[in-house]
Amino acid sequence: MSHVIQLKSETNIKIPLTYIILGTLAFSIAQIILFIHSTNLLIGNFRVPEIWMGAHVLVLGFAMLVVMGAMYQLVPVVFLTKIWRESFSYIQMTITIVGVILFSILIGINPSHAIIGGLLVVIGFTLFIIQMLVTIFQSKNITIMFGYIVTALCCLFITILLGLLLSYSFAIGGLSFHEPLFYSHIIVGLIGFFTFLIFGFSLKLVPMFSLSHDFTFSYAKWAYCLYSIGLLTLIYSVWIDRSILTIVGFCLLAAGFTCFTMNIYKIYKNRLKRKLDTSFFFTLIALVHGNIIHILAFICSISMVSDRRIWSLLIFLYIYFWIIFSIIGYLYKIVPFLWWTYSYSMKIGKEKVPTLKEMINERVGKILFISFFCSICLFVLSYLIGNQFILIISQVILTITTIVYTLSILHVLQK
Amino acid sequence: MTNYIINGLYDVIDPELGINIVDLGLIYEATCEGNKAYVKMTLTTPGCPLHDSIVNGVKERLLQLEEVNDVQVDLVFDPAWNPSLMSEKAKMTLFG
Repeated sequence: MSHVIQLKSETNIKIPLTYIILGTLAFSIAQIILFIHSTNLLIGNFRVPEIWMGAHVLVLGFAMLVVMGAMYQLVPVVFLTKIWRESFSYIQMTITIVGVILFSILIGINPSHAIIGGLLVVIGFTLFIIQMLVTIFQSKNITIMFGYIVTALCCLFITILLGLLLSYSFAIGGLSFHEPLFYSHIIVGLIGFFTFLIFGFSLKLVPMFSLSHDFTFSYAKWAYCLYSIGLLTLIYSVWIDRSILTIVGFCLLAAGFTCFTMNIYKIYKNRLKRKLDTSFFFTLIALVHGNIIHILAFICSISMVSDRRIWSLLIFLYIYFWIIFSIIGYLYKIVPFLWWTYSYSMKIGKEKVPTLKEMINERVGKILFISFFCSICLFVLSYLIGNQFILIISQVILTITTIVYTLSILHVLQK
Repeated sequence: MTNYIINGLYDVIDPELGINIVDLGLIYEATCEGNKAYVKMTLTTPGCPLHDSIVNGVKERLLQLEEVNDVQVDLVFDPAWNPSLMSEKAKMTLFG
């Protein structure tokens, strides 16, 4: 019995592309800001307005905008459904972009007024969540990916509410529960949203890019349960200040992450495509990094490490080695695809068209990914031994690499 | 006539894998009655982002054939694609 599929799932390319181009530009801007204020990083002084600005340009401007663009493209293909209201996407996109720019600037130069930009970010992100949830709930294709992506969107909503409350706390000079609020914001946003999202899409993208068959999602289901409980436990622990719960939380998160890595390994082992693209291989390495960082966090919690510099370093590594590396790896695959669809999808069959691999320079990509990895390793070294010279070298390499990466992504648009 | 249609489809390349859709084993049925071509095909995965592009490519390629002025493409996922459907040439390309 065969069932004929009559579905048009391609999104209007302008929406994802606008997000991704602006996000990639924000990547370079964030790195330049962090480079200028890198001496603060060396002394573990992460909680200063300039670093907040760099961090928010990186997380909101780069990671979030790219994620939004990628979701506008991937949600329809993963859930085999159309975007709920495409015209609504333009309003949401405009509010979000203006909000992110305003918020990132205000948090750096005038944190007490950051709530103005924060409100726009909240509106833009909330509209995005509504758009995505309605789109996803239209789908009849309920799989484990549904659980991951919906949970990620819920985490995003909680993150922005906590962020808004945090901005209010800054504006009035500090709420009595400012500290647990701050940690909850970081945990739900960085750990909850990004990890659930990357996990969810990886379950679709990894088999697709490696052409893998005959695998199951059994470990991924365990990973979802363990990671969710771990996340809730960790958040609860920061509010009641119980170190035993912190340890349990980190243990469950590490166990959940390991289960997920095992599932991806199973998919990887069953792949038909022997030689994987460099950028895709880089995202798989990012997963291993993420797993190691989770295990390190568990070890630090069980060893009662209270040194703020160590935890700050772990957060930094988590952002770069796991989130940013996953995004830049996937982006090297997604952007050529978007531009190919825009430029060649109507020409396929009529004339010779390039393959996706021919849309981007893989050799340059290989050098860039190695350079990203080495510069972060150098940064860690400088941070651990307190060497300013190595710090500057690492930041120079990272800044140049980031700018060249941005240019190489923009170069695809000339193909 | 079927061979004529199939030969035309060799020119439609999966842009992700760089292999034509016939060698990939994506074509389940290809016939032609009068000037109307009919293709029943699949993709390597149901949620393939290149879904619309490849189906469009099949239509465009067949419309270039002199004897064809109408094309119907049915995309099916049952039976699902599996690696055994690939030609030896495609397997060699993928397995390196």
